[in-house]
Order: sequence, then C-alpha cells, then structure tokens
Amino acid sequence: MSTIKEFLSRDHSRCDELFAKMEDIAMKSLVDAKLACGEFVNESERHFQMEERVMFLEFEAKTGMTQGPTAMMRHEHTQMRSLMKQMLDAIDAQNKDKFFGLSETLMILMQQHNMKEEQMLYPMAQQHLSEESQRIVSMMESMIVA
Amino acid sequence: MDFNGLSLDQAPPISAPLRFFLTAPLFGIIAGLILLFSDASALMSRYSLESIAVTHAITIGFFAFVMLGALMQMLPVLAGAKIAKVKLVATYAHLLLSFGLIALLVTFLWQSSLSGFLAFVLLGAGFLLLLIPIAIAIRGVSNVTPTIKSMKNSVLFAFFTLFMGLFLLYSYLLKDFSALHVALANIHSVWAIFGFAGILIIGVSFQVLPMFYVAPKFKNFCKKRVIWLIPIGLLLWAFLNLYDESYALFAKLWITLFFWAYATTVWKKLNERRRPISDVTVWYWRSASIFLTLGAFLWIFDEYFKHEYVVMVAILIGGGFIMSIMMGMLYKIVPFLVWFHLNAAGYMSIPTMNEFINKNLARLQFILFIIALIGFLGSFYAPILLEISSLCFILSMIILEFNIIAPVRVYIKIKKTKPDFDMSSFMA
Repeated sequence: MSTIKEFLSRDHSRCDELFAKMEDIAMKSLVDAKLACGEFVNESERHFQMEERVMFLEFEAKTGMTQGPTAMMRHEHTQMRSLMKQMLDAIDAQNKDKFFGLSETLMILMQQHNMKEEQMLYPMAQQHLSEESQRIVSMMESMIVA
Repeated sequence: MDFNGLSLDQAPPISAPLRFFLTAPLFGIIAGLILLFSDASALMSRYSLESIAVTHAITIGFFAFVMLGALMQMLPVLAGAKIAKVKLVATYAHLLLSFGLIALLVTFLWQSSLSGFLAFVLLGAGFLLLLIPIAIAIRGVSNVTPTIKSMKNSVLFAFFTLFMGLFLLYSYLLKDFSALHVALANIHSVWAIFGFAGILIIGVSFQVLPMFYVAPKFKNFCKKRVIWLIPIGLLLWAFLNLYDESYALFAKLWITLFFWAYATTVWKKLNERRRPISDVTVWYWRSASIFLTLGAFLWIFDEYFKHEYVVMVAILIGGGFIMSIMMGMLYKIVPFLVWFHLNAAGYMSIPTMNEFINKNLARLQFILFIIALIGFLGSFYAPILLEISSLCFILSMIILEFNIIAPVRVYIKIKKTKPDFDMSSFMA
C-alpha cells in the first residue's frame, strides 16, 4: 500500500499525462479533443475531491488548521475548476486560440499547485497522519465522485 | 515544520520580482550600446575595460537581476520559505544594485575612481541585503529537495563571487594588485557563471522541464549527484588554478563533462516531452542546449590555444546558454504572475496567458537575439560584423522589454477596475 504522499503524487502525474494527451489531440483537431478534455476534467475533479472530501478533512481534524494550507489549496482548486470549465466552453465554441491560452494558464497554475502539495502539504500530511495512512488511501481510492 | 509557509498571502507582492525582471533588459540595452561604441579590437581581450563593463552589464544587470527576482518568487512556491520583509528588501536592494551597477560601468568606461568606491558600497550592500535574507529563508527549509540543494549551493557561490568581485574592484581602485589578481579574476568569473548561475539553472530545470512541458523527470543520479559533483569540480579547479595550474585542465574537464551531459539531457527531455506545444520558450531551451555544448567544448579547446577563444566561450555560455534560458523563462513567468495575482484578487474575466504577449514579437525577439550572438562570434574574424550584431542585440533587448511590459500594462489597467469577486476576506 502506498503512502498518502506517493498515492496523490502519482495521481498528479496521471492527470498530467491526460492533460498532455488532450493537448495532443486538440492540436490536430479541437472537435476531437472534447472526449479527452472531458476525461482530463473528470479525473482532475476526482483528484480534487479525494483531497477536499477525505485527506484535507482528516488533516484539518488532526492538526486543527482549517485556515492554513488546505484553505489555500481549496482556493486554487476553485481557480482551476473555473479554467477547466472555460476550456470545455472554448471547445464548444471551436476557439482554438482561446483553448490553448486557457490550457497554458491552467498548466502553470496546476504545476505550481502540485509542487506546493508534493513538497509541502503531502509530507506534512504524511507526518501527521502516518498511522491512518492506509485507511485514508483506501478511502480515497474507493471514493465515488459527487 | 513551517505551517505558515502556505497561506494565501504566501506569494511575494508582484512588484518584488517584477521590478528585477523589468530592469534586466534595460541593462541588456546598455550592454548593447557599450558594444556598439567599442572598438572590436578592445573586445577581443577579456581584460579590456570595455569587455569588463559589457560583462558586468550582462552578468549583474541581466543574470543576477533575473536570478534574484526568480529566487524571491520561487522560494515560497518550491519550499514554503518566506523571505522576511520581502517588499522592503526587494525595493531597496533593487535601487542599490541598479545604481551600484551604473556606477561600476562608469568606473570602467570613464576610469572614475570616485564612482568606483560608490559602486563598491552600493553593490556590496545591495547584494548582501538580498542574499542574506534569501540564505536565511533557504536554511529554514525542512523538506530539502535537489532543487533546494542547488539553490543552497548557488547562493553560496553567489557570496564567494561577490566577495571576490569586491576585492578585485578594491585592488583596481587602489591600483594595488596582488600576485593572485588574475587567478582570482578567473575564479570570480568561472564561479559566477558555473556556480551561481549554472547550478541554479540546472536545479530549477529539474522542476521546470517536467512541469511546463510534461517532459520525463530527471534521473535520481542527475538530481542527487550532479548538484554536488559540479561544486566539487569548481572547488578543485579554483584550487589547481592557485597552486598548480598545469593540472587545472582536469578540473575543467570535470566541470565541462557535467554541463555537456546536462545540455544533452535537456535536448533529449525536450524531444520526449508529452506536450506538443512548441513556443518561443522551447526554442530558447533548445538554443541554450546547443550553445552550452559548443561553449563547453570550446572552453576545453581554448586550453590549447593560449586562451585566445575565451571571449567566444563567454559569448556561447553566457549569452547562448544562460541568457537564452532566462529569457525563455521570463516569457513564462511574467504573464503567469500577472494572471495569478489578478485572479487571486478576484478578477475572473481576464485574458489568458497566451494573450498577454504577441507571439510574433516574441519570435522576432528570439531571431534577432540568435543573429546577434552568431554575429558576435563572427566579428572575431570579421570585425565589421560587430556594429550590426550590436544593433540586432539592442533591438532584441528593446523588444524583450516591450514584450514583458505588455502583461504588466494589462495588470495595471485591470487593477483600476472593480474585481468580479471581493476576495478581501480571503486575503486577510
């Protein structure tokens, strides 16, 4: 069983791959990218919810910090969700320039967000939640996305 | 662990890094003007005052300004390390360094010792004012990744470079040269380029290449060892230069080997990247890789030619490698900072990153820069090329300044309007 840090970091890489695949298809034809974009958005949403509905709650309960790092990460999830929605709209509107402008913005936002999580929040969570680590990972794995 | 590292106000105020980024091309323009009005024969020697002036306009005015601005921005994101009183420190350090550098250029170009002493004080104070808080912030990081280690080493070399530079300036002003003056000048320049700049660039690229381009991650060997192997090579090289120059080539081969391997790795990673996008930033990474390879080989080759080619090595590695990467990164960082700060302040309907900078102007800037570099190299054989190359270089710096001011102008304009959401409760 992997640790919280390993599990969620791996999920970041998986989302990165989906992102790259989506851009690859969009480069050739924006219409065809709709499916790949949907897949990327859904999987990212799943990742956000694994954090927001499981890991962040456990972290907050354990440390008592509700206005600290998790609040910041939630805020950035909101920013990313908004960009993802605009990307889907750009596909519907067949606006390739807009789509790639949004994807570029999302990419950097997402990466600096992931970096903060992987280098600070996850190690912190792993440290505080090491005993519950397995339970938390299996809860995240079996979670049904709302 | 530092829990306060991650809070909503963790990013430094946008003005702190931007003032450094926006000043860098201005010193690039000044460097270009010095080149334009200098005699080609004077520039053939690394020890002519014109060469020293141009070198410092670029290395302090461009490289150090970009690196210091980037460190301020990256430390909170990469390591949750906050620089104390960052706005104040950035404002004063920027002023001290800008005036200090101008004084230094005046010293070399007009042989004024008064401005020399002024440069000594201002540059010394400006660098220390910023390097010390940066060093303190890095020391407090608990999760030390290879990138953070590279920052530690880079900052350490920055301190050494600064102290050696101040000592060299002091001896120049008093006309009291120690027996080791030339050797020290050599170490000062090599440590600045490969230590301060080189190690930082390598460490940051461990993060940046996989992040921005979804390129494969660097191998653990690269990440964990190279960060130590290069400083060891640099120390060895300095030691041999001072005590037994005949063996210095071994240390040089050591340093070159790793930089050449790095250049090749960057090229390979770019080929294997998963993002299909090929913008001007990718072009800059590629040109950096090519110029670094050429520069590294020429640096070794130069050993057998009484250091005739050392200025060309400086153009290839300083201009072709370091400056290329920095410009590529400016094209990514500045629009992102603008977008990020506007979005965090509650402005939702703002342009995307790609809309801030005109793509064609960025391409033109790249092409002019590359022409200028090749022209500078060619001017060793055909001095007539120097003038046109300098003009290309100046023009490329003017366009660079215009390109990175463009997003800032959008920022200022949008900031004057009312945000879509009131985020003030979040920002407390």
